[in-house]
This record gives sequence, structure tokens and C-alpha cells, in this order.
Amino acid sequence: MNRKTSSIRQREEVQGYIFILPWLIGFVVFVLGPLLFSLYGSFTNYNVTSRMDFIGLDNYKRMFTGDPLFWISLYNTFYYVIFMVPLTTAGSILMAVLLNQRMPGTRVYRTIYYMPSVLSGVAVYMLWMQILSPETGLLNTLLRLIGIEGPAWLFDPAWTKPAIIIMKMWSVGGGMLLYLASMQGIPTQLYESADLDGANAWHKFRYITLPMITPVIFFDLVTSLIGGFQIFQEGYVMSQSGDGGPMNSLLFYNLHMWNKAFEVFDMGYAMAMAWILFVIVMIFTALNLKYSRNWVYYEGGDNR
Amino acid sequence: MILAGCSNSEQSEQPTPPADQGQDDGEQAADTPKEKVELDFWSFWGSVTRRPIIEKIVSDFNGSQDSIEVKYTFVPWGDIWTKNLAAIAAGNPPDAIINDINTVAHRANQKQNTNLAPYLAKESENIQDRFFPQLWEAVLFNGEAYGLPFNTDTRLLFWNKEHFAEVGLDPESPPQTWAELEEYAKKLDKVENGKYTRIGFYPLWGVGADIWMLNSDGKNFIDKDGNVYVNTPEKIQALEWIVNWRNRLGEKTVNAFQAEFGSQQADPFIAGKVSMMVQNMNFYTQLRDYGKNVKYGVTLIPEREEGTGHWSWGGGFAVEIPYGAKHPEESYQFIKYLTDVDAQSYWAIWGLDMVANENAADHPDLQNIDVYKVAVEAMDKTLITPTPIFAPDFVSLLNPQIDAAVLGKASVQDALSKAQSDIENLVKSNKK
Repeated sequence: MNRKTSSIRQREEVQGYIFILPWLIGFVVFVLGPLLFSLYGSFTNYNVTSRMDFIGLDNYKRMFTGDPLFWISLYNTFYYVIFMVPLTTAGSILMAVLLNQRMPGTRVYRTIYYMPSVLSGVAVYMLWMQILSPETGLLNTLLRLIGIEGPAWLFDPAWTKPAIIIMKMWSVGGGMLLYLASMQGIPTQLYESADLDGANAWHKFRYITLPMITPVIFFDLVTSLIGGFQIFQEGYVMSQSGDGGPMNSLLFYNLHMWNKAFEVFDMGYAMAMAWILFVIVMIFTALNLKYSRNWVYYEGGDNR
Repeated sequence: MILAGCSNSEQSEQPTPPADQGQDDGEQAADTPKEKVELDFWSFWGSVTRRPIIEKIVSDFNGSQDSIEVKYTFVPWGDIWTKNLAAIAAGNPPDAIINDINTVAHRANQKQNTNLAPYLAKESENIQDRFFPQLWEAVLFNGEAYGLPFNTDTRLLFWNKEHFAEVGLDPESPPQTWAELEEYAKKLDKVENGKYTRIGFYPLWGVGADIWMLNSDGKNFIDKDGNVYVNTPEKIQALEWIVNWRNRLGEKTVNAFQAEFGSQQADPFIAGKVSMMVQNMNFYTQLRDYGKNVKYGVTLIPEREEGTGHWSWGGGFAVEIPYGAKHPEESYQFIKYLTDVDAQSYWAIWGLDMVANENAADHPDLQNIDVYKVAVEAMDKTLITPTPIFAPDFVSLLNPQIDAAVLGKASVQDALSKAQSDIENLVKSNKK
């Protein structure tokens, strides 16, 4: 009897593995393999076609001591992440709160605000390059109406990154949808009892809505943090010749990495850069996870 | 033999569709003595103007002999270099590819293309004599060729003769030096109610500051041995000259004008908003198609001072055999054909590009076109800027400093000294 069940269990185990085999193969071939390869490659002078000699920590040493563009690209990326993440998070929450009101036409508004996040890629950047055009662009034309002479946005190194962050605010609709869904899940009796206790709108938002959506805020923070560090296309497409904009102000980490890999063919160095970015993102995510228990509230009860 | 005769006569009698030919081969395959080598040729020329030209050249080549059949593959600009790189790494590259002439040596250094020296040595003619010398220089790595130059271009000064006449300048004598350029430009500026309605000339419309720095002394930023020439007195003078120009017109004027620039009819030169402009020679096609009413002249870029040389700058493409291609001998025959007079003059006449082959560029049909004639003349003093092996990405250190100086965020002297030392460090770290 015992032997029989164990053989059944074994067979089921094997069957289970067979079922997940496609994923396993995919993971090993397309994720784990390249991951380990790039780790090894980061200690070599790999150039894709003809060289792969072990050079120890040379790439890392060069990165931190001999490459001024590494620091510029890191600074640009941090600047972007530090402003973009809180702003888009706050923006989507605000939008979700506004669109969570019961009033006629809400659905239409929700669709309108969600629409920009459906559009993606280069088309949007092209559109924004026109909106941000210094003399004839929509944004500066509007600013002029209220008497402000707008900056040259994508041509002025001081304004290129803010311009891109503003552009990102345009597509907060994606995050909004998550918050909206989570807000709809908040039990109405909480608000009712708050009403009975005489709470005003702010109190209800601060003490009911906000705590109840913290798991989604947490999720949004982690994903947009990771997404933020991966910024690449904006610098590639929105700078005049794909070189990182005026005074390298749009030279983001990944753009610099891409240049090193595919323009200079210094793939080993680029791999090392990729691993440094991986470490940075891991540190931030770990911090996020560690401190999340202080402010993320799970209704289920167990603190996880 | 009989077979060959048969298929030949068939070809000449009717415009044989390739499918027919294939059937023929199939039926009599057993007797076919020699199999055709098939080659895959990649380029990014896929537009309605370029594609038919290159396809015609390829089919001419296929018709010119019966041992090689070249297939043309269009790969979009955004993909072609990375695809080529991946294909080389995978050991299955195309047989020939059009690639950036400035990076031939850089790729040779990484073993991405094939050394042509063994094939060139077997030739009775000296292939290098075909080309403009600086283009040949650009395809050499350790003194051996890794590609054959295909096409190039150069920058020229276009001037509006009517504007010249209007302000009392001789419409037939364009400025020769920077000083003259400035003097004429001031005369050509038109101001109404305190606002510029026409600008005589602005150095950064049409070309970048780096071109003026090259024009100042005719020397590249880095030489073959890795010596850096960025903060030379001449280059500093060039950038200061540009900054002064910007200060004189004012940033607002420059931006306001620039914002309205378009192409075709809206091109500032064609629209008469700017009287003189340095442009790529192929600006001619825009003038031909959209600027029928513009009476213009074209000449060499003015020199810094009399005698310093009317230096210009060009880019271009070379055709090379990716490393690991299966039939290098046949590929070589093909790229040799691509750079010979027939193919090159065909390309030049239909595409109005400056071609790498000097004899093709001297074709009478081309010399009849004013712009082309001046452009050939300019080739004498046209610099090619091959990517230096010791600092392949030096422009990412140079351009931000040029930007800083032009935007007034740093003095020219400081900016270029910073660029000089940054690039020297890069060279040092790569030479190790």
C-alpha cells in the first residue's frame, strides 16, 4: 500500500515536472543561462565576435574610476527615478480618488484618462517632442497664455529630465486603474461608520482609503522603481541623434550601457554595468520590502 | 556548354522571369555542370528612390556572369548593425553588407569583417586607385583593407543670389573666408520692428560645431596613433567664433527661427528666410524638386583665414564581407563589381550621391550638374572622420562640452580643455 502511494506520488511528481517543462526550459535557456553568462562575461573583455579573455575586476574598476559618463548616466537615472516614482504614484492615487466619485460620466472620464497608457513607444515620444517644442509647442503656447515664457525643454540641459518626467505623468492611467480597483474593494461600512462618527472627506481618505490601498501602493512603488531604473528609449529617441541629448543630460544608465555594448562592442564592460544596475535595484527592492511592514496594511491579518 | 548557350539565348530573347529559369534548371539538373553560388547582400536601402537603384545594380551583376547569384536583402536602418553583429557571432553572417565607412577599422579590430588583402593582391589592377584617397585610408586597418568604399558626401556653401543682389553684393562672388562670411551675413540680415525676418547666415544651421572645428585646421580630433587634438588654438578659435555668432543674434532669435524650420518648401533656405547655408551636397535634390524659383550658387565652405584651406567633412558607407561569410571569394567579386565604374556611375546618376569611385564621379552627366561638380572639387579637402580605435566613443565626451560652450554654460577654453583631458584618459585606458 505504502509502496503504491509512493509510486503514484513519484509518477505525479514526474508528470508535474513534465507539465512545467516548457517553462523550465525557457527559463534555463532564455533567463538563467544568459544571466550566468553575463555574470561571467562581466569579468572578461568580451566583444561578441572575437575576444573573451578573463580580466578580473578590470571592468568594474574602470567603471568606478575611469569613466566619467558612468557617473553622469547614474546621476541622470537617479534624478529621473527620484522624481518620477513619487510623482506618478501620487498622481495615480489622486486621479483614482477623483474618478472614484459617483457622478454621471465617470466611466467616460476613466476611459479618457486611461487612454494614454494604451498608447506606447516611439509614437508617444514623437508626439511629445512636438508638444515640448520651444516656440510652437502646445505646452509653451499654453504657458504663454498665462504669461509664462516656458523653457526650451528638450534643448536646455536643465529642463530635459523634467520634461520627460512631465511626459510620464501623462500616462498615470495605468497605475490609476490598479488603485481604482483596490478602492472599489474597500468595504462601504467603513465609510458609513466614519460618517456616523462625523469624519470629513480628508479624514476618510487619510484613515480609511489610504491604509486600505497600501498593498497596491507598495506594488506600484516596487514595479515603477524597477521600471524607472530601466529607462532607455526616452533618451535614445528624444535626443537629437540618439546620443543622450544636450550635455549628456538624457544619457541614462541603460543608454550608456547600450552604447558601450553595441557601438563600442565593449560587451564585457556593458555586462558589468548591467550587474551593477542589478545590485542597485536589488538593494532598493530589499529596502522597500524590509520597511513595507511598517506601513503596508494587509486586511487578511497575517503580516505578509 | 550547350546548356549554357540555351539558357543564354532564352534570356536574351525574352525578359525571362526568374521562375521560368528555375524550372529549366530543375528539369535538366543532372546535366548542370556548375552550381551557382548564392550570396546574400544586406543593406538598409529600402526607400522608393534607393531600393530600385541598388536592385538594378545587383541584377546587372547577376546578368554579367553565370557563377554567382546575389540576393538583395533590405534590413531597416534601426536593425541592421545589431543583426549583423548577432549573425557574425552566430557564425552565419550575410555575404556582403553596406556598413558605415567610419567604423570599418573598428570592426576589423574586433574581427567582424574579412581582410581583403589576399584578394586585392591577386588583382592585376590596383583597386585602391579607384577611390578618393581619404576614403581608401578609412577602410584600412594595420595597412590592409577590410572593406571597399561605396559612397560618401561633402558639405558645401549654398548662397541665394537674389538676396546678394538685393543688398548690393556681387551675386557671383560668394564669401571665401570666415571674416567675409560674417561681413556678408550682417549685410544680408533683415530686421523689421526689432525682429529678424531674415538671417544672412548662422553657422549651426545645416552642420554642427564640430564641422567648423574641423574646417579651422583640417585636422581630425584624434589621429591614428591616439593623439588628441581638441583644444588646439584653431579649434578654440572656431568654437569662440560660433559662440560670438550666437551672442550677436541672440539665443531667442536663433531658437525662434529654428523652430519654424521644416523640410522641402519649408526649408529655411528655399523659403528665403536664410540667405546662406552650409548643407550636405544632396541638398541639391531638395532645391531641384522644391526650390525651382530660388536662384542659388554653390561653393566650397569658407576657410578660417586665407590659406588655411576650405576644409569640409563627409561621411559615407563601405561594402564589406562580414567575418565568417561562407564564400568570401565570390563575395569579393561582387563587392569589386559594386565599386567599379559602371555600378558607381549608375548609383551616382540616379541617387545623386558622391560615389567613392573617382572615375565614376567624373562622369560627364554628373559634371553637368553644378553642385556635383563643386562637390567633386571639394572632395580634395573633405575630411573623413574614421572612428579612432583607441577611443571609439570619444564624441560622447566631446559633444557635451561643445554643447556647454555653445549654450554659454562654460567658457570655450574650459570646455575644450575638459574634453581634451577626458578623451586623453579614454585613450589611455583603451591603450592598456
